[in-house]
Amino acid sequence: MKISYQWLKDYCNHNLSVNELSEGLTNVGLVVDTSTPIGDDYCLDVEVTSNRPDCLGIMGIAREVAAIVHGKFVVPDVDYDTTDENIEGATHVTIEEKDLCSRYTARIIRGVTIAPSPEWLQRRLQVIGLRPVNNVVDITNYVLMECGQPLHAFDLDRLEEKRVVVRCASNGEALVAIDGSKCTFTSDLLVIADSKKPVAVAGIMGGKETEVAEVTKDIFLESAFFEPRNVRKSSRKLGIASDSSFRFERHVDPECVDWASRRAAKMIQEIAGGKILKGVIDSNFIKQKKKSVSLRTSKLNNLLGIHLDKSEIKKILERLCFTIISETEESLEVEVPSFRGDVYREIDLVEEVARIHGYKNIPAISNIGVKLNRENKFDRVVVKAKSILSGMGYHEVVTDSIVENTQDKYAGIWSENNSIRIINPIRQDEALLRKTIIHNLLKVKKHNQNHGIDFTHIYELSKVYLGQKNGELPEEKECLCILGEEGFLPLKGIVETILLNLNINQALESVPYRSDLFTSEKSAELKLGDQAFGYMGELRKEVVHNYDFRNTPCITELDFNMLVNLANFKNSYHKAPSFPAIVRDLAVIASEETRWADIKRCIVSLKVNYLDAIEFFDVYKGKQIEQDKKSVAFRLIFRAGDRTLRSDEVDVYQETILENLKNSLGIKLRT
Amino acid sequence: MQEQLVDLQNQAKNDLAKAKSLKEIEEVRTSYLGRKGALNNIMKRIPGLSPEQKALIGKLANKLKVEIDRDVEEAIKRLDLTSEVPLVMKGEKTTAQDTGGVFDLTLPGKRKPYGHLHPITQTINEIKRIFCMLGFAVEYGPEVEQEYYNFDALNVPQEHPSREDFDTFYLDNKLLLRSQTSTVQIRIMEKKKPPVRMIAPGKVFRPDTVDARHASMFHQIEGLMVDEEVSFRDLKFVLTSFSEIYFGQDIKMRFRPSFFPFTEPSAEVDISCSICNAKGCSVCSYSGWVEVLGAGMVDPNVFEAVGYDPEKYTGFAFGLGVERLTMLRYGIDDIRLFFENDIRFLSQF
Repeated sequence: MKISYQWLKDYCNHNLSVNELSEGLTNVGLVVDTSTPIGDDYCLDVEVTSNRPDCLGIMGIAREVAAIVHGKFVVPDVDYDTTDENIEGATHVTIEEKDLCSRYTARIIRGVTIAPSPEWLQRRLQVIGLRPVNNVVDITNYVLMECGQPLHAFDLDRLEEKRVVVRCASNGEALVAIDGSKCTFTSDLLVIADSKKPVAVAGIMGGKETEVAEVTKDIFLESAFFEPRNVRKSSRKLGIASDSSFRFERHVDPECVDWASRRAAKMIQEIAGGKILKGVIDSNFIKQKKKSVSLRTSKLNNLLGIHLDKSEIKKILERLCFTIISETEESLEVEVPSFRGDVYREIDLVEEVARIHGYKNIPAISNIGVKLNRENKFDRVVVKAKSILSGMGYHEVVTDSIVENTQDKYAGIWSENNSIRIINPIRQDEALLRKTIIHNLLKVKKHNQNHGIDFTHIYELSKVYLGQKNGELPEEKECLCILGEEGFLPLKGIVETILLNLNINQALESVPYRSDLFTSEKSAELKLGDQAFGYMGELRKEVVHNYDFRNTPCITELDFNMLVNLANFKNSYHKAPSFPAIVRDLAVIASEETRWADIKRCIVSLKVNYLDAIEFFDVYKGKQIEQDKKSVAFRLIFRAGDRTLRSDEVDVYQETILENLKNSLGIKLRT
Repeated sequence: MQEQLVDLQNQAKNDLAKAKSLKEIEEVRTSYLGRKGALNNIMKRIPGLSPEQKALIGKLANKLKVEIDRDVEEAIKRLDLTSEVPLVMKGEKTTAQDTGGVFDLTLPGKRKPYGHLHPITQTINEIKRIFCMLGFAVEYGPEVEQEYYNFDALNVPQEHPSREDFDTFYLDNKLLLRSQTSTVQIRIMEKKKPPVRMIAPGKVFRPDTVDARHASMFHQIEGLMVDEEVSFRDLKFVLTSFSEIYFGQDIKMRFRPSFFPFTEPSAEVDISCSICNAKGCSVCSYSGWVEVLGAGMVDPNVFEAVGYDPEKYTGFAFGLGVERLTMLRYGIDDIRLFFENDIRFLSQF
């Protein structure tokens, strides 16, 4: 809301400089965004929150200024002389939609001379960014900006049968508005009509045909209260907004409707000449009883943490035009003025006092004391997992949960259900909530590749959204998705490292997994024990081509809450071994189908004495190895807890192991 | 013969370090492990050895083979990284012997890659740390929500513009993507009786057209404290303490009245602009102040919605924008940078 620094002084006497005024208003909740010098005046742009429509007029802001400076708030005089002719005979108003228009007033001024406004009036409008049109139109705008009540002046002679009907439009009725836009109405829109046709969109904009022009002699002055929701709906529907609709949407003061009409009529008579007809048409107005609210001083002081006595509270409220009807030792009974529709509870009065007393005068001191919180295991596991990934050189990324519709393809193993769709997306082709993070990471890789970085080691820990069929909240699955560039086994190694360091004992199982994303060999569903834990694979060539990647990344996506549930922070210490180990490195020839898990299981199942660990080295296929065979190299570590083992003892165990590998898996030592 | 084997391994390592292509690596491999390779030449001499020697050399030779194979693989991996790490740094010998040679101490250190936490995560972590010192627990809530938690229970009127579809993303079945983390207030108060002291970080969504200042997904942290006799003074204390730690003691904090449906009295909180020392610059729109969060005393209607007695309990709530704080702190001028995830951006935090 733009206001003029000089104009404001009409209603309150203050000696504040522009900067002081800006600061003062900001401190009571009316933020002054900018103040721009214009001639000998300033234009202040004031941010008015939606609960304060009373401040959408300069007088409303002046009322606040008066409260700030303990000054007097001056309301302009609206008494005027009239002719003897009575308005009743000159026009007629019918309200068909009483719920949508709970007050409609009309005044008539006969014999005006339309001309440019006087310079002072033009200048005031220009300072706040309005374009002067002619004296009558300028006055309606002036009064709108002064008190926040929109007004409209019709050329009486152009109203068919010189009368007004407030009704809903018929489907297909049309109107050219003052700004030239053509409106075609539907039957839910409220219009102001004469006996034949719409002449204005109620509360939003007048029509061109009946606007005040040079030839106009007699003015029909409208001041009304239109129902806020309906004005907003209509304004959206027609795509027209105006200073009027802005204020009606936010609720004008029904009491002010007539005051504004008087004010404008008086100014028209003074500036444009003519005579005001006697009386007013004031339809459908039921004066509301003033609200009264009680305020306990103890409640106020406890809530704000201050010590104001009752008389100080009273003074503040009276400066804001509240009336104290009665009081007791402990409390005040406060009558709320009609323009403060936002105040109807005790807490609302507390806020009023707090604002004017000043937030800065409330001390920032407290004795809130200690509160102990239970450990948040989720956060603890997150910190640990992320620190492991950081240490391995992986960067954390954050990507959007809303993804392109095409990402519904290859959408991961978590759910067969359709992706959740946004009804009102920003872009129609980006309307889904992701079911996997994989595509987001691939896009991040792509972005980096486009900027010259071929190797992106990245991960994201975030949610995927799995729709439920029953309309309940979806499952939001916390997933850890990692993209690596070093191959399948190094990526698997990272997962193992995380498991190891969270002291998770369940074995990590890798089961072949068919996916359109991954190559057929390197694609696994991961399990912890027998529970699904995630999946991992090397990107398929087609996918690599689609993204135009210069190398082949591997990706894994894990159910992070399984890690949280299984993580164990209560592990105990194991003494490092005191006696040396005997190490045997073996290379064996096995059939291609033989899996390391089989070899390992076979060895473990023997429960060989002193076998401390089995460490895999590598698999080799090639020239020296028969077709359909592979060489598997690994290390056996033997150790006794209480003595140094002898080599010949270990020879025996090693022989047992080799014997069994041969018998059960057909594996033989490579020579 | 044992020494020969050790030498062989070192030579192989050296040769591999010099190899600059897959072809060269393969050549090195065959020259050691091939049928006519150096290792096989030694193996051929095994039959003439004593039984003890046989076993020992045999075992060593096997081990050597495995290790050279592994070195070969590592060399292949290194090939990919040659653009990042020059080969000259790899062959550094550690002999613990004074060779009388010259070592260039000014060569750059050999760095291991280190992964960075996303700046958003770092900001959230720091804010968590500060509020944990003040006794606030960390809570989380769902991102897909019911209207009740995002609006109704928070005293947002039916006709409030924030409910319209250009301010909130709607899904089927009257669900929506939460547009604020205040939803977690309600969920926690429904579950727990006072005293409550919590913060709730998380993602929120709004259908804003993406530009340098707006993203359709961003992060907020909600805070809530409820107990008997919690006052505006406590709110000021908690937020001022936070500001002193997060922004530093030189930064001033300003509370000014504002309006939110779920708090009353409400405040918007500014800090003095650190870019221009509150003298006025483009970051603070020449006001000297930068808005950092919204706060206020919990509206009695919110307490009614969760079944707390508003006569017995009072409390405050606040909400802050994580991206905004991060941008202010590091002088980042485009919110989109957070979600592009350019490694060159991420590595700076």
